[in-house]
Amino acid sequence: MIKHLKLVVQYVERHFVMLVLILSINVGALRFSTDEILALWTSLLITDPIQILSICLVLFLIATIYLMSRPRTIYLVDHACFKPPFTCRVPFSTFMEHSRLILREAPDSVEFQMRLLGRSGLGEETCLPPAIHYIPPTPTLEAARREAEMVISSALDSLFKQTGLKAKDIDILIVNCSLFSPTPSLSAMVVNKYKLRSNIKSFNLSGMGCSAGLISISLAQDLLEVHSNSNAVVVSTEIITPNYYQGKDKDKLLPNCLFRMGGAAILLSNRWSDRWRAKYRLVHVVRTHRGSDNEAYKCVFEEQDGEGKVGISLSKDLMKIAGSALERNITTLGPLVLPVSEQVMFVLNMIGRKFLKRQWNAYMPNFKRAFEHFCIHAGGRAVIDVLQKRLDLSDEHVEASRMTLHRFGNTSSSSLWYELSYIEAKGRMKKGDRVWQIAFGSGFKCNSAVWKCNRRIKTTITNSPWSDCIDRYPIDVPKVAIL
Amino acid sequence: MAEVNYICKRTVVSTKPVQPGKSHPLSVLDRLVEPSRHVMVVYYYRTDRSRERLGEVTQKLREGLAEVLTYFPPVTGRLVRTESRGSGEGGWSVKCNDAGVRMVEARAKGSVEDWLRNVDWEKEKRLIHWEEMYHKPYFWSTFYVQLTEFEGGGYAIGLSCSHLLSDPICATVLIKAWADVTLRGKMTSPPLFHQLPAHRPGSRTPNKDPFINLCSQRPTSTNQSATSSASVHGKHKTISLSFSDQMVRSCVASAQAHAGGPSPSPFEALAGLIWAVVSKIKGRRDGLVGLTMGLDIRKLLGLDDGFFGNCMVYSQIQPNSEENCLLAAAMAIREEKAKFEKEKVMDLIEWLEDNDGSKPTQQTLACSDLLCLNLESIDPRWAIFEDGSSPIQTSLYIEPTCDRGQFLVLPSPSEDGPLSRTVMIKLPRDEADKLLEDDLILQFAPTVLMGV
Repeated sequence: MIKHLKLVVQYVERHFVMLVLILSINVGALRFSTDEILALWTSLLITDPIQILSICLVLFLIATIYLMSRPRTIYLVDHACFKPPFTCRVPFSTFMEHSRLILREAPDSVEFQMRLLGRSGLGEETCLPPAIHYIPPTPTLEAARREAEMVISSALDSLFKQTGLKAKDIDILIVNCSLFSPTPSLSAMVVNKYKLRSNIKSFNLSGMGCSAGLISISLAQDLLEVHSNSNAVVVSTEIITPNYYQGKDKDKLLPNCLFRMGGAAILLSNRWSDRWRAKYRLVHVVRTHRGSDNEAYKCVFEEQDGEGKVGISLSKDLMKIAGSALERNITTLGPLVLPVSEQVMFVLNMIGRKFLKRQWNAYMPNFKRAFEHFCIHAGGRAVIDVLQKRLDLSDEHVEASRMTLHRFGNTSSSSLWYELSYIEAKGRMKKGDRVWQIAFGSGFKCNSAVWKCNRRIKTTITNSPWSDCIDRYPIDVPKVAIL
Repeated sequence: MAEVNYICKRTVVSTKPVQPGKSHPLSVLDRLVEPSRHVMVVYYYRTDRSRERLGEVTQKLREGLAEVLTYFPPVTGRLVRTESRGSGEGGWSVKCNDAGVRMVEARAKGSVEDWLRNVDWEKEKRLIHWEEMYHKPYFWSTFYVQLTEFEGGGYAIGLSCSHLLSDPICATVLIKAWADVTLRGKMTSPPLFHQLPAHRPGSRTPNKDPFINLCSQRPTSTNQSATSSASVHGKHKTISLSFSDQMVRSCVASAQAHAGGPSPSPFEALAGLIWAVVSKIKGRRDGLVGLTMGLDIRKLLGLDDGFFGNCMVYSQIQPNSEENCLLAAAMAIREEKAKFEKEKVMDLIEWLEDNDGSKPTQQTLACSDLLCLNLESIDPRWAIFEDGSSPIQTSLYIEPTCDRGQFLVLPSPSEDGPLSRTVMIKLPRDEADKLLEDDLILQFAPTVLMGV
């Protein structure tokens, strides 16, 4: 009985406007007779030409003001991901051997790292850059630049090929890479390599963590709002070479086990001509920053260990902080995307708990009613598990995230794009589907982007990073891999 | 004076992951080998420095190596001990854990031709990388590759591997497969990993055949700790002699007992020659010193070219002859070789399996003998990595060297003829110098590639 009521309410919500229209027409038809309607209509007709003209002008003015005050539609024309060469592959056994050879004096750190790797959710095909394959690793500035060039060029070349974009036509360029920020910047490297125009608006975001990819999208959105008839290329990547921790502090070893090579390039546009070929339309970007809280600020912290080696320490409360950042984010996002009934439930629950002091559990709105696909940043197995539980998502919803973590590892800000490619490669993306991308990052930040699929996406996988392995997925990733 | 600069050391892994849980058990012939023994091979190639910049060929070869390793899971695996059947340690097995092989990249000054003009074992050692087994062999790579590019043109590939997994012929099979994959993308002889052929059940000989008695031993050195230092401190010297097709024919003719009789093979003739000369140098003017001969039994057992693993059997020859001459030596070798029949070899393998060759009570040959290996079955179509570029010279070593000395007979990479051979001889320093001056050797006018 209640289930049926729920279904009726959901149906009414979805087709609310149409139902109201049908209802008013019926009411109108019932209330007024045909003659009265005709009399009403003839009385509205005006014969004076000046009056006609002025009314038309007013209508035209209203329409113009309305259209101009609406935000521009931002389209995602296409995206391309970097596919690492197989010669950079790092199997578990090689990783462990290298750790042993490098950390000879700290066998318990090596054991700890082995346990972390076994529970990480990664597979045997993730890749590290060439400099980290050396014994000992040689993370020079030159090697980092080479990695940056390899990753970014490959992603951009694929993007140009897929979209037919010419380098000279790029109006806005945003590159985000958190841990590697040379001079000249990586965006300057792109301008140099592809000979971009001298009046390009280029930006380089560094130090903003794994959520920087969506920050770049947000920045592109704001810029495309201001600059009409333009396009923007966003490059998201993380350069691993300079950031491999070579010390033995246990709180800094996890990033070594998780971070892998990856990168993505995205073409955004506000051009009218792109609306037919664009894959997605940007609906919302919601940014949440918890940095005002000291614990959140310090939970992902780059520092030197006792021997002066630089590493990123992860606090034990990371999942708790991520959970609270997520809650803040969905408090803002919820009203924008959730159906009315879910919002009502949420508000009632909050009133009950906060003002009436009832001992209820916090109500988590059912986001499965707002989105068809979820791209959760593949930060690690723990992050995906926590979000799956909190949002009450099925295994299929988080499949893209888990499989991306398995095949590519944690590629930081570009992981969301590998996950989107997975969904497309599996043929699950239909026109009208809504996608929610969630990314967490140091700071502590939780950013969300909502996209709507703009057109039918064919399941051709020739340009996808999943092209040679999609048929093997999904696989059952063991909780603990045997090393 | 050519200098070798080491650039980096890394691990090269296969392009596709190995199926988890795979392992490669070692055969009885593998387990017969002493764990400290290793094979070292060097191949030299020319390049046109004006067309290929420095570092390009290393990258291409490294990528080819990653591709070919996908077909050789035991090469990228690690040694583990299996459970022992009795007291003591269990035998070795390879766990195919996808760990990869170590690779060292280096640069050398000058050109490859300059290098080869005055090369010796000390210099060649710098082109090969080897690490002794670690305390925990699970983290120890069994294969090592070094790629050295010469700034003036040319490159050298140095491969070293544990003899437990691969005999010299097997090492060259790996290099050939690597070359095929790099050049053409596919192999002419894909590797095969299977057990040695077994007898049909119910036909086992209950008594220990004297043939088996001889062959169930393995060559080793008298003093374990001293041998590696002996090689390092230059107690031995290496000489590499190249015999042209014509000279080999003339040697064969000299070794023939009488006209119209059976003609000795090039190996029998050349091995006989070296044996006779070395015996004379060691002071045996009226007879021959003891010789341990190692023969490849792949063809005998009907195994495919791509068979991976040890496939050599050693036998001791104590000649009865009072003569020290090429003819007597060649005949003794011929007689010994004739004893190797398929049935007998299979009996031997069976006997070894029954007696579990990994026991420490395994008999070892006293190294009062000279060691000789027949490696003629190495594929004469040597490894070609780039179009039209065959190796210009090859060297092969088995370390640690037997105190008494050893020599290997290989086919020659030159286009001279099917019978041309290279003989690599390693003797104590003073004896080696005398070898080059010996009349019998000079009669066949070999080209001295190394050891002047």
